[in-house]
Amino acid sequence: MSALLKDLYRSIFRGDPPSTDKGKSELVFYNVWLHIHPAKVRKEHLKVGHTLYLGFISFFLFLILVVTGVALMLYYHPHPAKAYQDMKDLQFVVFLGPFLRNMHRWAAHAMVLFVFLHMCRVFYTGSYKAPRQFNWVVGVWLLLLTLGLSFTGYLLPWDQLAYWAITVGTNIAAYAPLAGPQIRILLLGGHSIGDQALLRFYVLHVCILPALVIALTMVHFWRIRKDGGLSRPLWKLDADSAPQGEPPRPGPASAEKTYGLMEVVTGKPLFEVLTPAEEEDLVFSYPYAFFREGVAFLLTVAATMVVSLVWNAPLEEIANPAKTPNPAKAPWYFLGLQEMVSHSAFLGGVLVPTLMVLALLALPYLDRNPSRRHADRRLVLWAFTVFAIANIVLILIGTFFRGAGWALVWPWAATAGGHG
Amino acid sequence: MDRRSFLTLTTAGAAGLLASGGALLGSAVRFLFPSVYYEPPQKFKVGYAKDFPIGIPTFLPQEKIYIFRDEAKGFSAASAVCTHLGCTVQWFANDQRFHCPCHGSVFSADGAVVHGPAPKPLQWIEVTLAKDGQLQVDKNRSVADSYHLILPS
Ligand code: HEM
Ligand code: FES
Repeated sequence: MSALLKDLYRSIFRGDPPSTDKGKSELVFYNVWLHIHPAKVRKEHLKVGHTLYLGFISFFLFLILVVTGVALMLYYHPHPAKAYQDMKDLQFVVFLGPFLRNMHRWAAHAMVLFVFLHMCRVFYTGSYKAPRQFNWVVGVWLLLLTLGLSFTGYLLPWDQLAYWAITVGTNIAAYAPLAGPQIRILLLGGHSIGDQALLRFYVLHVCILPALVIALTMVHFWRIRKDGGLSRPLWKLDADSAPQGEPPRPGPASAEKTYGLMEVVTGKPLFEVLTPAEEEDLVFSYPYAFFREGVAFLLTVAATMVVSLVWNAPLEEIANPAKTPNPAKAPWYFLGLQEMVSHSAFLGGVLVPTLMVLALLALPYLDRNPSRRHADRRLVLWAFTVFAIANIVLILIGTFFRGAGWALVWPWAATAGGHG
Repeated sequence: MDRRSFLTLTTAGAAGLLASGGALLGSAVRFLFPSVYYEPPQKFKVGYAKDFPIGIPTFLPQEKIYIFRDEAKGFSAASAVCTHLGCTVQWFANDQRFHCPCHGSVFSADGAVVHGPAPKPLQWIEVTLAKDGQLQVDKNRSVADSYHLILPS
């Protein structure tokens, strides 16, 4: 019997026990989920100071969203006649309903925040520079998808916030040049907001957009490996003058030798010889990297749970096409956009956001300065900081300085609209 | 196979692939536009003339329209949908204006933009008299803001 169990175990886990160096490598090597990591990683990449683990936290929040989202799907019908009642059931009837709904809502808010912060980290460490330009572009798409998931998500409760957000959002789309009105019909599945529109946003939210996020996240992570691992922390730049994490380029071939395919592709000998100093810089992914990622994961889950126990996700009155709430406010991350469209629908809703996205996408190609040192990057640091602060200021104005009828007011006079 | 027929064949093949790819894409886009829209009718009856007070606009929440009845000029109807981004405007009796809660557009009693981001005046729509004596409104028919229905008395 024990031989059978042992056989079973050995058929699943092939490597040596992870008490030896060989076992530690095999653990990563033979596991489809773990082998996105190299067997060994640079110590400096595990330092919180370099990445702040913001990308990981974004990813873990996404995992929380998938799990809680699938749970919510079991009690939600994407139809105007049922959706709002399902929300009420989740609030008052379903076992763990409020907790799951809170977790889903707060993790969604947090994901928007953390993806943005992660982007800032990547920017300020200059990690979008060659060879990582394309991974920055993938990242920008992930940011857009994250916003798209939030937008399609908060429509689903079919409360006042949902109804008026879809109204305003799809009307902004209608200002797009050339195909604007067609795009609106495409999004709504009709000319007015009804069951077709809710169904379309539901399919986008639970199927199309998550599938795209998963696909792009895979590319994102794969690319990190193929770009030669994470960028080196800024504090290491002065220490060594070696090229900063350039991707492996094929070296000159020797006529005396036959090369294996691996060697041709990577340009490195199959059995790399590391200097003792280089060896000194590395640690095994198991347990060092996994432990830290595990801690980041547990902290993310724990923080989301605590927030969800203390604060309830908002739910406004049932959607009422006849009455727009006053003020009608979008969730915080769209209040900058709302502030801009309050000046001009086309400029603030279409042109400026499009230019902002294009600027983000083009950044790594426009910024041709190879140096990552802050002293050499004054102009671009300044430009991005203005960009980030402008967005934050617009959001703050929309949140705290806009009252009934979207009039400018002092924060203490601003009636909270629906946000959440 | 000689060079000429090889080239002809590959060109034809490439053209065929391109055409079927285009057809596929076109059908996919067409698929996304519903063939039938199950939506509320744009033309509907709103009630008898006597139901509407003189001077104060009547708001019909379901249809999102305002019905005006003027002593001298007769009946007219305006859409309550803000021309900015589609929120529902509200009539304020104290300043005799429409206010939009979303981004602060203000419209005068005749629908003109007083200020705010709205690019166009409120839409005026046709009011007619149905055979059964009820007023009838057709949202698909825009009219000038001077349009009024005068009932024979
Ligand atoms: C769903 C959203 C995203 C997820 C889950 C994600 C995840 C990650 C993870 C786990 C890392 C590893 C290092 C770290 O934790 O910082 C990383 C690195 C990176 N990310 Fe993201 N990311 C997302 C969005 C973005 C965005 C919006 C950008 C930029 C526009 C971006 C650009 C990059 C780049 C260039 C790297 C390599 C950084 C380096 O080598 O130091 N990512 N991402
Ligand atoms: S929708 Fe009326 S002001 Fe924007």
